[in-house]
Amino acid sequence: MTSLPQPLSPPDSYDQSSSMWVDEAIWAHRLYDEQLPWFVFLEFLNVFDHEEGKSRAFEETNGLNTLKYRAAHRLHLRNILFNNPHLAEIQLTCPNDSNRWDEWLKRMKSATGIAHAQFAYLKNHFHSFDDFCEIVSLIRSTSFEVNSNKRWTSKFVFPYGRDCLYEDLDNNAATNDRRFFGRTGEVLYLMLCRTSRKYELLAALKERLSKTDPTWNSVIKCLQSSEEDEQGGGERANAFLPYAQHPCFDQLAEDWLAILRLSIPGFDAFPHMVNLAGLHLLKYQLTVSLQLLNSSKPLSLVCEVVEPKKTLVREISCDFYQTNNLLPAQAVEMFILNIEQSYDWQRALTENGAFERCRKILRDKARWGKDYEGPNDPHALIASLRQAAMKRHRQHVANIHRNYGREIGLVSRRGTVKLRYAPTDALLKTLLFANVEKRVELHQFLEKMHRRYGLVFGDKEAEQVLSKGEFDKKAFQANSRRLEQRLGSLGLLRRLSDGCAYVINPYHTEVK
Amino acid sequence: MYDETIHRSARRQGIVPINFTHPYQDQVIQCFSQNMMTPVSVILTGTAGDGKTHLCRQVWNLLKGEDDKWVSDNPYLTLRYHLTSSGSDAQNLKRAITVHFIRDLSGWAPQHGAKWEPEKEQLLLRFCHSLFNPDIDEVFLIAANDGQLIESFRRLKETEEVKNARKVFEDLLVTDRQEQPGIRLKFFNLSRSSSAELFDRAIEAFLTHHCWADLKQGMTGENELFGPKCPIRYNYELLQTPLVKLRIRSLLELCDYNGLHVPIRQILLLLTNAVLGHPDVKDHLMVPNDVPEVIAAGTTSKASLYNNVFGGNLSEIRRQAITIFDYLDRFQIGYETSNRVDNILIFGEGDENLGSYFDNLIANDHFYGADSRFYAAKKEYIEGTDTSEEKSEGFLQMLVNQRRGLFFKISKEMEFDLKLWELTVFKFAGEYLDSVVEVLKKGAIVKRPILSQLVRGLNRVFTGMLINSDRELFLASSGNYSQAKVSRILVERVSVEPSKGEKVILRHDFSNGQVLLSVFFSPDIYVDFSLTLIRFEYLSRIALEGALPASFSKECYEDLLAFKSCLIAAYMRRQEKETGPSGTTIGLNVLALTEQGMPDPIFVEITP
Repeated sequence: MTSLPQPLSPPDSYDQSSSMWVDEAIWAHRLYDEQLPWFVFLEFLNVFDHEEGKSRAFEETNGLNTLKYRAAHRLHLRNILFNNPHLAEIQLTCPNDSNRWDEWLKRMKSATGIAHAQFAYLKNHFHSFDDFCEIVSLIRSTSFEVNSNKRWTSKFVFPYGRDCLYEDLDNNAATNDRRFFGRTGEVLYLMLCRTSRKYELLAALKERLSKTDPTWNSVIKCLQSSEEDEQGGGERANAFLPYAQHPCFDQLAEDWLAILRLSIPGFDAFPHMVNLAGLHLLKYQLTVSLQLLNSSKPLSLVCEVVEPKKTLVREISCDFYQTNNLLPAQAVEMFILNIEQSYDWQRALTENGAFERCRKILRDKARWGKDYEGPNDPHALIASLRQAAMKRHRQHVANIHRNYGREIGLVSRRGTVKLRYAPTDALLKTLLFANVEKRVELHQFLEKMHRRYGLVFGDKEAEQVLSKGEFDKKAFQANSRRLEQRLGSLGLLRRLSDGCAYVINPYHTEVK
Repeated sequence: MYDETIHRSARRQGIVPINFTHPYQDQVIQCFSQNMMTPVSVILTGTAGDGKTHLCRQVWNLLKGEDDKWVSDNPYLTLRYHLTSSGSDAQNLKRAITVHFIRDLSGWAPQHGAKWEPEKEQLLLRFCHSLFNPDIDEVFLIAANDGQLIESFRRLKETEEVKNARKVFEDLLVTDRQEQPGIRLKFFNLSRSSSAELFDRAIEAFLTHHCWADLKQGMTGENELFGPKCPIRYNYELLQTPLVKLRIRSLLELCDYNGLHVPIRQILLLLTNAVLGHPDVKDHLMVPNDVPEVIAAGTTSKASLYNNVFGGNLSEIRRQAITIFDYLDRFQIGYETSNRVDNILIFGEGDENLGSYFDNLIANDHFYGADSRFYAAKKEYIEGTDTSEEKSEGFLQMLVNQRRGLFFKISKEMEFDLKLWELTVFKFAGEYLDSVVEVLKKGAIVKRPILSQLVRGLNRVFTGMLINSDRELFLASSGNYSQAKVSRILVERVSVEPSKGEKVILRHDFSNGQVLLSVFFSPDIYVDFSLTLIRFEYLSRIALEGALPASFSKECYEDLLAFKSCLIAAYMRRQEKETGPSGTTIGLNVLALTEQGMPDPIFVEITP
């Protein structure tokens, strides 16, 4: 396992809202568990679109961690789609087309967040009110969180094109309160700014976006007022990623590139990119934790290919999940321990005014201590930091592994009460599409899964990871056999005769 | 090498082995004909029991190899022969060719993880070299399971020729071809032969083996081997009846159409087990001495061929480990049933409507039909007061055996009346064989109702709605995701009847025997879909029954969505050719259904 790169110092104008700088210093400002991978992707697209518009996509032109961008609000569109429960009722109660428009326009005068709400422009785009309703219902059917109880300002249309991008807003539709756009998308963007393959990625991304079907973007544009300010929101800044490079960033870029180059219909690439973004963010968090802990063992995720009955592999998978789940918290403790064992701290302890000196060290390193009211004792001080840091860590950052893991289909509770790694068909597909060029033998595929992600399915990989006492060859052979059957049932595997199976990527095209 | 083991034990017992011409024999022998201008190397690959070693031996005999050498255990042998080429080239006249036989690559190559012996590695490198150089005077005959073939060559030194050779093998294997231009190689994947055809050859050889005649002649008492009460004799006679042959053949043919290949060894195993199986004797296979004991114990009915065909005489673990029984088990014959069949079995005796069926199919079969045990258990089941599971368990097992018997006893004429194929998981298998496969093989056209049924099934999968239309194929998308479950945006309708170049037809691919469903967008733009048995069953059930449990076949569902993607891509290709004024408005066809399930698209227009 490679050692952790030298971290970057926090920006001078760091976000005053954060009460300390611990999770941020280790991983980023910030990984946020309530922003699930699709929302990470949407936030990323907002950043990318803005930077691409300024012709500086994937460039940090003013230096590392200086990203500043604006995102649209598109409140007319969002009021129509997500804050408008009137359509069906009006279709029923008003007898003719012009009544319907009139009644609806009257009701929409009170649309939230728009100064003088005017929706009359819609009449120019649609032949009838019914057509309009039909379109709204179709767009809703592909939107995110339509049927959830999230506030209407946190519902999103599918990113068909740049006219579909906007940022999450608070209840008054005034500003981004970082409730569901918690900067993780910005972090994802920064990761991609710092890979060696960013130019290839940029070209592939632009190519993919330019080739998608423009119909739906045009339709969605019709729902918007031409008078609305494109860059509605204020300037967004302060995203921070503490490493100038990291192997995880490069792997993410490689995987996205592989997906972008597949010959699959335009938008079908997105769900795979979202899964991979989630997977790599999760992996980044765990990998950095291991590096900080100076672990000699690389990251391992033992995966069960679901079997109705309880198996040994399931038990081991549960254990690995538990162990990995604790890694980020251990990293936080280690971060504080490193401060405590540092030369500066130890010297400060021996000097006059030790408490004030130590307090200054914590202010520098962890941006914490202003509101400390405990005894004037360095030990009590750092114990208090440790407690506060752990409490804060547990609220959100600690949940990335579980929440992202479940959302992308890596972590599951199926058939048990305990969580474990049990990849879904969708995730297996994503992994296969990103890693198989045309076809490879199954055991090579398994080897690659292990090498690149630490995922363990078969006996050869398990033998490297497990101790002699834990390792059971038969159990893992059965596990990889089940994987073979699963891939077969997805049409992604071709079995020849005994002992030979090819994993096939039907969407692979030769790189031009 | 199993082939050798069989020959050794045949010699020991003084019995002529069962022998018939391998379907690939002529083609393989042809490669070593002395008239060949450029001799080629041959790779024989396939599953265990496909006849690789057997074919090697045929070549060895053809080239007049010595028997002594062949019976040795050495997996590697060589031989020289002279071409008697009629070519004008004088040098070629007496060209001597060395043939290297590697009749068991896996036995010859080093164990996994071990190193190559230098001379063996050299030999394979020479083989790779010879593939790309026509002037070399040596050729190879290599027999190997396909997995081991690739694996062995992967472990060789990575020279350019090794890499190229491996690529050739992989391409030939995966694309099912026998040769590539410019490469001195014929590649036979024996697993591609038709199991039904192998069965025809195997059963002929099996039934006409002279030992059966010897047995008949040596027949002694009533309760002895091959006497009138002998189950072996009865099973042998049953196996000769056209109906039993037909049913077994149908099952194997259906295996073929589901992509499951049954090797020769498994077919012979099936035949042997069918005749000799009995659950109570040693190894569950009867030997002559067992016969009187079985008859005396009154357990003749347990030797039922109908049950033995499915490995019913074997323990569950043993059965699952044998390929052929694993495959046949997937039909679930004995466990699937219809009300009608079960009514005949349980209440049919003496019933005015069902009685004649019961008599014909069950009561009159004195060997494996209803015996006293069956009547007693049936009475207990219907009238008994003991409702414990154990008690009924025995009768239920008898029902399984009887249903299996019915599968072989219901004649072709009664097939429709008694819904024979409802005794299997594949209710539509009969229709598939009779109305699709047979019709297409004859070059005829599949009847319209069958095609309509498939189109309706396709439409339901493609739109995610219970649509009833079968005159057109509806291609629909959801807007953002081509694999969405419900797709309401109509992309195109394709006429099923030939119209302006569009049509949907079923046809037979003579190169590999598959049934294809082909959708034509224009005479030169079309997409083929291999219509396997399970896909046919899936579409037919969706068409007739509507929704299916999600577990029925995720595989089919995935395949069909992939097929839809291909169809939409083909449609796009056709539209590229259409040039016209691009309109300023956006038009969308939104699919809705009438109450009868007929499509009723709404056209919505938007002016940007």
